[in-house]
This record gives sequence, structure tokens and C-alpha cells, in this order.
Amino acid sequence: MKKFFTSALIRGLLWQLIGWIAGALFLTGIRVLMGLNPFVTSQYFFTEPAWVFGGLVGALSYVASTGAMTDWFKWAKGEEVPEHREDPPGWEKYLNVSLDHKVIGVQYTVTALFLLCVGGLFALIFRTELAHSGLQFLTLQEYNTFMSLHGIVMIVGILLGVAGLMNYLAPMLIGAQDMAFPRLNAFSYWVAPPAAILLLSTLVFGGFDTGWTGYPPLSERAPLGMQMFFLGVAVAGWASILGGLNLIATVLRMRSKGMTAFKMPIFIWAAIATSLISATATQLIGLSFQMVMFQRLFGMGFFDSDKGGNPILFQHLFWFYSHPAVYVFVLPGLGIISELVPVFVRKPLFGYRFVAMSSLGIALVGFLVWAHHMFVSGMNPYLRIPFMFSTLLVAVPTGVKFFSWIATIWKGKIEMPSPMLFVLGGIVVFLLGGLSGPPNATVATDLHLQNTYWIVGHFHDTMFGGYIFPFFAAIYYWFPKVTGRKMNDTLGKWHFWLMTPSFLVLTLLMMRVGLLGMRRRVADYDPALGFDTYHLIMTIAAYIIAVSVLIFLYNLIVSIKHGESATGNVWNSRSPEWQVPSPMPVHNYDRPFEVIGEPYDYGLPGSVYVRFEDKKSKGH
Amino acid sequence: MRHYVIAGVLVVVVAIATYAGLMAVKLMPVEASAQSIPIDQLWNVEIAIICFLFALIMVPLIYSLIVFRRKKGDTSDGEHIEGNNALEITWTVIPLITVLVLAYMGTYTLGEVMAVDPNALVINVTARQWSWEFDYPEGFTSTELHLPVNRQVVLDMQSTDVIHSFFVPQFRMKQDILPGRITTYRVTPNLIGTYQVECAQLCGLKHSYMTAPVIVSSQADYDSWIQTQVAAAAVAAQTPLGRGQQLVAKYGCTGCHSVDGSSTGIAPTWKGLYQSQVKLNNGTTVTADEAYLTESIVNPSAKIVNGFQDNVMPKTFGTTLSQSQISDIITYIESLK
Amino acid sequence: MEHTNKSDVLLQGVIVFVFLAALTALEFFVAIAVGSVVLLAMIAFVKVGLVLYYYMHIYRLNAQDDTLDRHSYQYKLTTSRIGLWLFLLSDAFIFGGLFVSRFNLLGLTALPLSSDSQYIALTITSVLLLSSFFMNRAEVSMEHSDRKGFIFGISITIALGLIFLAGVIFVEWPSAISIGVTPSSNAAGAIFFIMTGMHAFHVLTGVIFLSIVLRNGLRGLYSPEKHWAVESATTYWHFVDVVWLFFYPALYLIGKLVS
Repeated sequence: MKKFFTSALIRGLLWQLIGWIAGALFLTGIRVLMGLNPFVTSQYFFTEPAWVFGGLVGALSYVASTGAMTDWFKWAKGEEVPEHREDPPGWEKYLNVSLDHKVIGVQYTVTALFLLCVGGLFALIFRTELAHSGLQFLTLQEYNTFMSLHGIVMIVGILLGVAGLMNYLAPMLIGAQDMAFPRLNAFSYWVAPPAAILLLSTLVFGGFDTGWTGYPPLSERAPLGMQMFFLGVAVAGWASILGGLNLIATVLRMRSKGMTAFKMPIFIWAAIATSLISATATQLIGLSFQMVMFQRLFGMGFFDSDKGGNPILFQHLFWFYSHPAVYVFVLPGLGIISELVPVFVRKPLFGYRFVAMSSLGIALVGFLVWAHHMFVSGMNPYLRIPFMFSTLLVAVPTGVKFFSWIATIWKGKIEMPSPMLFVLGGIVVFLLGGLSGPPNATVATDLHLQNTYWIVGHFHDTMFGGYIFPFFAAIYYWFPKVTGRKMNDTLGKWHFWLMTPSFLVLTLLMMRVGLLGMRRRVADYDPALGFDTYHLIMTIAAYIIAVSVLIFLYNLIVSIKHGESATGNVWNSRSPEWQVPSPMPVHNYDRPFEVIGEPYDYGLPGSVYVRFEDKKSKGH
Repeated sequence: MRHYVIAGVLVVVVAIATYAGLMAVKLMPVEASAQSIPIDQLWNVEIAIICFLFALIMVPLIYSLIVFRRKKGDTSDGEHIEGNNALEITWTVIPLITVLVLAYMGTYTLGEVMAVDPNALVINVTARQWSWEFDYPEGFTSTELHLPVNRQVVLDMQSTDVIHSFFVPQFRMKQDILPGRITTYRVTPNLIGTYQVECAQLCGLKHSYMTAPVIVSSQADYDSWIQTQVAAAAVAAQTPLGRGQQLVAKYGCTGCHSVDGSSTGIAPTWKGLYQSQVKLNNGTTVTADEAYLTESIVNPSAKIVNGFQDNVMPKTFGTTLSQSQISDIITYIESLK
Repeated sequence: MEHTNKSDVLLQGVIVFVFLAALTALEFFVAIAVGSVVLLAMIAFVKVGLVLYYYMHIYRLNAQDDTLDRHSYQYKLTTSRIGLWLFLLSDAFIFGGLFVSRFNLLGLTALPLSSDSQYIALTITSVLLLSSFFMNRAEVSMEHSDRKGFIFGISITIALGLIFLAGVIFVEWPSAISIGVTPSSNAAGAIFFIMTGMHAFHVLTGVIFLSIVLRNGLRGLYSPEKHWAVESATTYWHFVDVVWLFFYPALYLIGKLVS
């Protein structure tokens, strides 16, 4: 117990609070010197600028207190720092700073699961409210806040989950001992807990009622919670940016001998495409939010039409990131699907090179489509045409992936343990998400669909199919690598068969009511619309999904100690990480390997992907 | 070979069945505008494409999971098929052509939807948190949007505060409404009936309730409605109470202030307010006289009633309303005993 | 370490600086007399190209070092370079977003700044370019074991950086405020202050970074073979200069300067 409370994770909470108050006091002091009012006694005591500055100081205090920045401070002071560190054995290493990418990957994944559950809880709360027309137990402000928080908490949860997958897997898949910049990696993780605290703190600062998109002018006049939302997203964004940077450098520089571009595991291609986006575009959501924060704090009229500002500028800056962001969410998931299908059908990934290029293609074209979120915004009406073309174009590389998966599965020898079930579920759900895209892309139909529940159904299918299902698949699949044990397959099947039909019902009904005219982000709806029954069913589906997640969590936790022992190549995979024992050795590969074959040459007798050398690895 | 044939047939069957099934369900609301016709036609084309692609992926997938499932005792691998360049090119080029055709169709449909009738009727729309105001060229304001059937109407829309959006599902179109500039919504209603405009851009607390009736009637009925409205406005303009009532409707005050004593949670009720004792959030009590009510309209942050928040009441009425208009509104408030 | 002649490389730095200065003068002339945004853009790209190649050594990213031992200092140095450039690429997106915002909000009209502002801006731009010149000298000195030259160069760079900051915060900003261009006045004021402010923030962090490197350099921590901290601080500093090479014309030279 003591180890828990003195861990970096928990210590950081205290330091974040201290930093928050200290920063607020400091800013208040400056206000006093400037002759401005120091406090607002009727609201939250400190002024908004004080809370915002304090929030930033608090987040930095959290990270600094964990020790994630200590080595850099030492370098600045000119001190020597040992290059590698050994983690203590046991679970404490997961609660403290570790430079080991596997530990960091688990930290990201657990934090992601936590946030996904919190976001899911928020959804359950407002879905319960929506089950029947009329307001039953939430106030309008509470509804808007829970709905908005659901969105951003899920998004940040997915971003952290993406980081978890990429950090855990990438070095292993390319034969490296760690990421290129291990300290940067640790820092990138440790900004996530304080960012999550900032996001959840909106609940005590009056919430925010704009949805996760935070459009001004509404966000300019929203409660103080709005600022905590902006700040939380900005801090979380650093993890995405730095993690992406780290991944690119790692893959460029640390691949094993013989691992040429088209002999890398396909997930690495997905990771590269994802990282190209996350390392660059993320800055734009930070900038757009910063500009609204400054509009609130300093009266800077970027988006205020009274001052010659332009609210649509916000939307351009925001969506320039937030569209590519969805490819950050799904490219890794689609990469997981591509990675696992060959293993469970014992057949090569069909058209590997084309699949690899399709990830890059999606990332590139994904930068050119953002204004499809703005077709009814009042933007230049003729500018909508090129964006319609570019948006429809994204379907082409996406289609290449689908066709490739089907061609891989066709005539394979198919087995369907839990990981494969979730891969298949991902394909089906993402298919629905993808197919519901083109009507949004064609401007004329989007005039009807935009801001309705059709869109909500579309993005839930793409997010779940493109990320959440593959995320579950990856956890079931690599759990033995982390723990040396398997998760229970029967419980996995229960998880799958409860979650998947419920999710399909949920999203198909969302699309139905959306087509009939139900707007999104509404706390209440007219009973005369006749949607009550649909909403009741959707709420019940949501609860069934929640039960399935509980089964998954139970399975996850219990299997750590009591799962069936699985120390070898449980899935009979060709991939290098399965050629060494489980749990994965601390330094990954004590003997380096050379790539001498193709990654997915299942069905080719005598073919081998990697060959381990006889001499031991250098280093340490 | 037979696998391909069976799967191929099933793809066609499933595609057709799915399409038929979706067409049998009334997916969309009734078409009530001329613009909805090309939009729904494009939509139907898209549904057909979706059904085909759905079948194209799902059928081979499900077929494989059944037919190519590993049989007990079989430990061999699948066939070593790495790819097929011709197939890859085919399934890149055909979708590429399809999306380009679809994009062209989308462009064409958008052109049809945006077609301008130079004789369109112009109505000004003001959106505010959380009500709609329709200003007719005849010089009166209405809280309901009445439109004549089969005539193009262009709505010049502006917001006084945040971004809203004008959406009528039966018209199949929506358009965001911005502060500081005018956005336009062009529609030719072609079905007499009563619909509803709903705000389709999250605009704060009462976004869910920001709706107004849209009544499409025959030209004759529309004209007589206009005449009634003009007459009523003229009558109302003659008394302070009438003018006050008109102003309250125009500016949507009752979106937040109830007139029947019920609690909205957003603003104090007006029923019985005039000359009553009001408890403020700083503990003091004041009388709601002319001076207090005027100040509450012109400078809302000066005094906050206990239990309510600052920064909700718009602060611009001091410039929007003249002194006599404020006085008329207070006359109306006074009448709510 | 470079197998080059120090004075050759220093001379190269001088020549590049002369070009940069000449292009800056040309830029000013184009703004005053010609008013062509296209020409201004071309000049800016040439200046940026010169800095990217000759001062930031972007070509060093192409190391062709597959055969090296992965654990060697040299191999890891190139990896660190890639990491730094990815960071700069990322940071560039913020400035890109601000740059785009300037044109979205204000089109191609000039900011409502005074002619005093023009001369202040030209001065501080020259100060920043000069600081890049001395930064380059400092790095070249370090690469050629000239400790004194390194200390001198980096100290001047820091001093010039501080002068730039003082010029922005204590001269340019008050000048703008005095004619009514404030952060909250209107869109033009908001854009002016956020662009100059974000850039100044990066100059400040650069000054802090360089001060740390100066201190550690004085304690003899760097050698021609191992001075990544110097190289990274130098590259960062030049990057901050590159941003200004775009921001300066965007803020001061576009619009109706033609009399």
C-alpha cells in the first residue's frame, strides 16, 4: 500500500494541486501589482487567468514531481546520467517513471482503458437521460457537460491507447531494444495523467457546454470549465506530438539488419503514417484552442466578428488537425487488423506493399479534407467542391485495405479465438462506418445529414471499428507477451458477442433517427417525433456494451495472476517478438536477429522471417 | 472455382436484398421542398452503392468464415498467395472512377440545390439564444415562419450571439447562422404542411428547445396571414402594452423568463415580478420597480438575483432598445400579475 | 568534427550573412517601392534556404551510415538530429497556423502600424540575422576546437537575442499600443501580438537554452567530437530566425507600403 501512495502516479496528484494553487497565487499577485481585482468571491475564488495559469503550472508540477524530467535537468546542469536504468521487479515500476518502452506501453494502455471507461460512464449517464423524451434527472448544463466530456475523454483515451500500442509494439517488431528517445518517451506518458485531471476538473469548474469541438463564440462565453478543457487537450497533445516524433526516429534508425522497408511488419507502416500526422497536425488544435483561451483572457478578437475576427477561422484551424486526428485513431487499429489476420488464417497478407502504401495514402489525403466538417458553416460555397472530391478520394486507399483483408481471409485456414473475433468485428463495424461516409462527403446530401445523429452513428462505427475493436484484439493477442499468461477465451467470447450486436444496434438506430431529422448534442427531444422507443433500445444497448466491458476488465485483471500459462509462441506467429519467451525479456532480444524472409510467408514451407544471431547483443 | 461462383451470386443477392430492404423502410422524412428531390435522388444512388459494397465485403467474409474454417485435425497453413497486381490495380482504379463519378454527381446536385430564382421572396431571420425571429418585408416580426408553397424563398440569416443553424429535415437542408455576417438559405417549399425549424448547431443550454413552427400554405392562405399580421402589428403599435408584447416576442425574452410563474432555472419569472421584493445574491433585497427593471435590461451584471448566474442575459439590449421600447416592455411585465 | 579549414568555413558564414543582409535590404525596397507579395515570398524563401543549408546544415540528416555500429556516438548523433528536425517540423506547424490566420483575417492589407514600427522592425530583424551570424561562428569555432571563438560567438548571440526581445517587448509593442493597436483592439491587433508574442516566446526559450550551453561550455563540457548540445541549440536558434524570416514580411512588408 505504501508503495502505491508514494508512487509517482499518486505523488504527482498532490504536486499538481500544489502547483495549481501556487500558480494561481502567483498570477493573483501579478494582478494585484497591476491594480486588477485579485479574487472573484462569488464564483471560484481565484480569477480565470489565475486558474488557467495555475492549471498549466500544476500540470508541469505533476510531470516534474514524477522525475520524468530529472535526467534533462541533470544534463542542463552538466551532470552525467547513466544511459540505461533497471526497473525494480514487480508492479511498482508501472506506477513510476520507467524508460522501458514496454512499461510505458502498459502505462499508456492502462491509462487509456481507465479514460475509456470514464468516458463510457459519462455516456451511460446521458444515455439514461435520453432513454425517454423530457428531462428526467440531468439539468441542461449537466447534460451538455457530460456529453462534451464523453467526446473529449474518449478521444484522449484513444490517443493514449494508440500511444500504448505503438510504444509497446514498435521496438519489439523492428528488433530494437527500446525507442530512440526513452526519456522523451517517459515524459510523453507522464503528461497524460495531469492532462486527464485537467479534463475531469471541468466538472468542478462549471462544466462546459460546447461539445468537444469548442467552437467560439459559444466557447468564449462558456463557464471556467471551458478553459480547463482547452488546457487539458493542449497538455495531452504534447504526448501525441512527442510520441509521434519518437516513433518516426525509432523506425528510421533502429530496425534490425535486413529489415528493409517492405520487410517491416505492416503495423510499423501504420505507425509511421499515424506518427507523421500526430507529430505535425496536433499543433493546430493546440493553436486554435490557445487562440480562444487568449480571446477569453486578453480580449484578443480572432474569432469575434465585432472586432473584425472570423469564427470560421477557428473551424479551419481546428479541423485541419481534427480530421487527420481521426486517421491517428484508426490507422493503428487498421494496422493491427492487417497484422493479425495473416496469423489467424495462416496465409500471407494479400498485397502487402499496397496495404503499406495505403496507410501513407490515407495519411496524406487525410490532410486535404478537413473542410468537409464545415460544409454548412458559411464557408465559401464553391470551396466545398474540391473538399468533396478529396474526401471521396480517401475511400480509395481505405478500400484497398478492405479488399486486401478479404483476399487474405479467402481460402485461408481460419481460427477464431478472441483476438480474431475482435479483428473481424473491427472489419464489420468499420465497414459500416466507412460506408456511411460518402453521403457526408457529397455536399448536397450532407446538407441534411450534418449535425444529426447520422453523423454520430457514422463516427461511432468508424471509431469503434477502426480503433476500439482492434485495441481489444491487440490486448487479447499480446497479453501473453506482457504477462506470460493468456486471457480467458470463453470470457473473451462473451465480451465479443455481447458488445458487437449491441454496438451495431446502437449505431444503426443512431443513423435511423438521424436520417429522420434528430439533431445531435440535444439533451431532450420532442416526443411527437416518435423516437422514444429507438432511444430506449439505444440506451439498453449501451448498458449491454458496458456489461461486456466489465467482463473484459474482470478477465484482464484476473488473468494477470490466474490466466493459463502461455510462455511460448501461443499464436504460432512468424513475428520476431513471439520467437522469444513470454513475458518479453527486459532487453527484448538478447541476441540480435536478421531479417531473411518475408513477414507473412505463411504457407511457404521452410520459410523463416527472422534468424537470430549466435552472438549476444551489444550494450548494457 | 465454385467458391467464386457461389460467393459472386450471393453478393448480388445480398446487395439486392439489402437495397430492397432499405428502400422498403421509410428512411427519410417526407420531401417538402423542390431541393429535396435531387438530394434524395443522389441519396438513393448512394444507398445502392453502399448496399453493393456492403455485400461485396460481407459475403466473402462470412462465406470464408464458414467454408474456410480450419477443420479439426488440420494443422496445415493456408495457400501461399502473396497478392495479385492486376487485382490490386483493378480494385484501386474502379473505386477511383466510382468516387469521381459520385463527386461529379454531387457537384451537379449541389448546383441544382443552389439554383437562384431572382424573384425569390426575401425574409430576414435572426437567431439568438434560444429563439427565432422572422422579419417580413411587409414590416412586421413573427415568431413563426410562414411560407407560400411553390415559391422560392431566400432567408437572410444572422445571429446576435453564437453560431446557430437553420434546419428543417423535410427541406433536406441546413445552414449555419453566424454573428456579424449574413448567411443565406434558399428553399422552394413544395408541400403544404406544418414543419419545424430546429437549431442544428449546439448553441448553449437550451439548444434542444430552440425550435419554431414553419407553416407552408397556399398563396391565398399566405397572403391572408400576411394581412392579419400587418393589421395586428398596426394595432399593437398603438399601445405601450401591445408594443411591449411585440418586443418581447421579437427578442425571445420568454425563452428564459417564464410568464406563468414556472421556474426555467435560467432566469427569474416575470409573473408577479413588478414591484415585488427581490432577493439578490449579495444578501440584500430590492424592489423591482421601473428603475430596477430598466437596469436589469440595460446592465444585467449590476444586480444578480439570488439563485441565478451572471453572464447569461445578453448585455446588448442597452444599445439595441430605445428608452421608450424598454418602457413598453416594462409595461408588459407589469401586466403579468 | 570537421575535416575542414576553420577560416574557410567562417568565411562561408560571412558570405551567407552578406547575402542575407542584402536580401533583407532588397526586401525592404520591394515593400516600399514595388509592393509585390510574390516577390516578397520569393525573397523570403531564398533567405530561408540559405539559413537551412549553410547555417542549419540540413544535409546532415542524410547520413548514409547504415554500416556504423548502432551504439556508436556518431550513429546516435544522427538519430538525435532527426529527432530535433522532427521537433522543428512540428513547431513549424504552429507558426504556419498563425501565418495562415494573418491572411484569413486581414487578407493582403497592411497592419495598421506606424512608420516608426517599420524602422524598429527593420532594426530588430537585422539584430536577429546578426545573431544567427554569430551563432554560426560559435558553432564553427566549437567544431574547430576554438574555445575562445565559441564563447565569444555564443555570448554575442545571447546578447543580440536579448536585444531582440527588448526591442519587441519594450519598443515595438509600446509603439503599437500608443497608436491603438492592442491585443484587444481588433483582429489586426490580436494577430500582431500573438505572432510577435509566440515568436518572442521562442526567442526567450532559445536564449535560455543558449545560456545553459554557454555555462556548460565555459566548464569545458564540449569538444569538437562531442557537442550535440551546442549543435542542437544552434539549430533551434536558426529555426527561430527562419520563423521571423516569414513573420517579418507578413507583418510589416505586405500591403499598402507603396507610396
